[in-house]
Amino acid sequence: MGGSLLKPVILIGIVYAILKFIVPNIPGSAPLPSSLIFLYLMLTTSGIVIFATLSGESKDAFWGPIQRFLTGENIGGLQVLRYGVLLLFPLIVGWQTYNSTATSDAPPSENRTIHPAPPGEYTGLSNPVAKTPDSIQQGKGFYAAFCSPCHGGNFDGKGPAARGFNPPPANFSDPTTIAMLQESYLFWRIKKGGVGLPIEGMPWKSAMPRWEVELPDEWIWKIIMGEYDGAHQSPRTWE
Amino acid sequence: MTQRLKHIAPNVVAGVWLAMGLLTAQAVSAEEKTEATAQPESTLQSVSVSAPMVKGTLPVDDPNAAVWNSATLSRFPMSPQVHWPNRILEATVRDLNVRALHDGTNVAILLEYADPSEDPDDAAAIEFMVGDKKAHFAHGQPMAQVEGGPVNIWYWKNKDAKGVDMNAKGFGTLSVQQHQDVKAKGAYANGTWKVVFTRPLATGHLDEDAQITTGGFVNIAFAVWDGKKDASGELKEKGSQKAVSSWWYFRAEAPPDYSGYYYAALAVGLALGFQFILIRKLKKGQSA
Repeated sequence: MGGSLLKPVILIGIVYAILKFIVPNIPGSAPLPSSLIFLYLMLTTSGIVIFATLSGESKDAFWGPIQRFLTGENIGGLQVLRYGVLLLFPLIVGWQTYNSTATSDAPPSENRTIHPAPPGEYTGLSNPVAKTPDSIQQGKGFYAAFCSPCHGGNFDGKGPAARGFNPPPANFSDPTTIAMLQESYLFWRIKKGGVGLPIEGMPWKSAMPRWEVELPDEWIWKIIMGEYDGAHQSPRTWE
Repeated sequence: MTQRLKHIAPNVVAGVWLAMGLLTAQAVSAEEKTEATAQPESTLQSVSVSAPMVKGTLPVDDPNAAVWNSATLSRFPMSPQVHWPNRILEATVRDLNVRALHDGTNVAILLEYADPSEDPDDAAAIEFMVGDKKAHFAHGQPMAQVEGGPVNIWYWKNKDAKGVDMNAKGFGTLSVQQHQDVKAKGAYANGTWKVVFTRPLATGHLDEDAQITTGGFVNIAFAVWDGKKDASGELKEKGSQKAVSSWWYFRAEAPPDYSGYYYAALAVGLALGFQFILIRKLKKGQSA
């Protein structure tokens, strides 16, 4: 008799365990948001209810114990648990309602695009400076003078002047920054600076200088070479 | 005995199931809540300044008043101004503590920071965006692809001992307003500056002044100058050579809102009613 209720409980427990602990560990997967897990559990539950109510017999076996528990007839020592449930349910409903109507203290959330698309005239530009040890060395010298105060002597975005800036200066040793980008993209970002970003890049927040007013293009191309070399990254290419 | 056990077992399972369902629903929504709010806290020191509403007068002239402790302390890291020449690569002030209060009419913002020496040219400023347009945090510098707006700057300098209400739209465009709405008062003790800025929450000058409405978030940024002179008599920090913060958020808290409690009470009542009707219906069905 108890099996018709015990099985669904076990089944839901297994589904939850799979979604919570096994799915995130599948290579290429990620932890599921709890709202999605909740949705899947609800689907599982409705499946169980549909299955259990297919025949009159299974329906009685399924609903009978729940009905007896709720009405409190012949449940003996379980009365305490029943009162607990009957008390808990309205309290949880009240708590949920309070949480969803109370005003939030969190400031507006911001979705900033870190690498927005560059203007058309910058795509596909190639570095006009020959990649010689001399130019790389010169580029590293310019980097040390102009870029390292924020982007760091170790190319890690942790320069002494970086602490107050939000968004933080890019960390070039991180494989998701310059290693994903072409040299032409860096040329655009260095030349036009934070104020050159499109709206999805939130230009009003970036401290990156507009280096075109201070440095000749050739220096910028050399800085790019020095940056890739120093951070042990290579620019993304079309091949 | 087994007969009785057989009878009780399904009831136990049913009860446990109901209780589990309720608890899961609760846990899931609680988890959702913390995921949403925990993120900014962990990556930054503070993201916003919240000004609670106080009854009585604001401590506009007293940076040491006890009532400041009723405001939550926010802490922001500072950087040297590097965005535009003339830049500096190292600034004296590295962290800024901020508290704020309002009384429904005026807002008072207290800046607190370590400075080893008191100098006549020590100065501090607060910056806001004006109107709906976004403005670059460095004096509202022009942006290439976004039409920016002006910034409103509240400025205080030790030797002038007053607040100055200013506007800018890019470096080199700083101008003092015709109508001065900002008051400021500084106090130096034990290597620490405390500076209070005060202004009405709303002014009539929508094109020049930031307007603060209770309950809403506005952008805020800060700047500090160490007015110490070096051996040659030059000021260590002046003009664009200063410590700056990024844009953060500011909010004057709305008066307390108890409607959440009323809605919760209503929901509890409805849930109780639902339970009552359900059980009555089940009991009727059983006896029938």
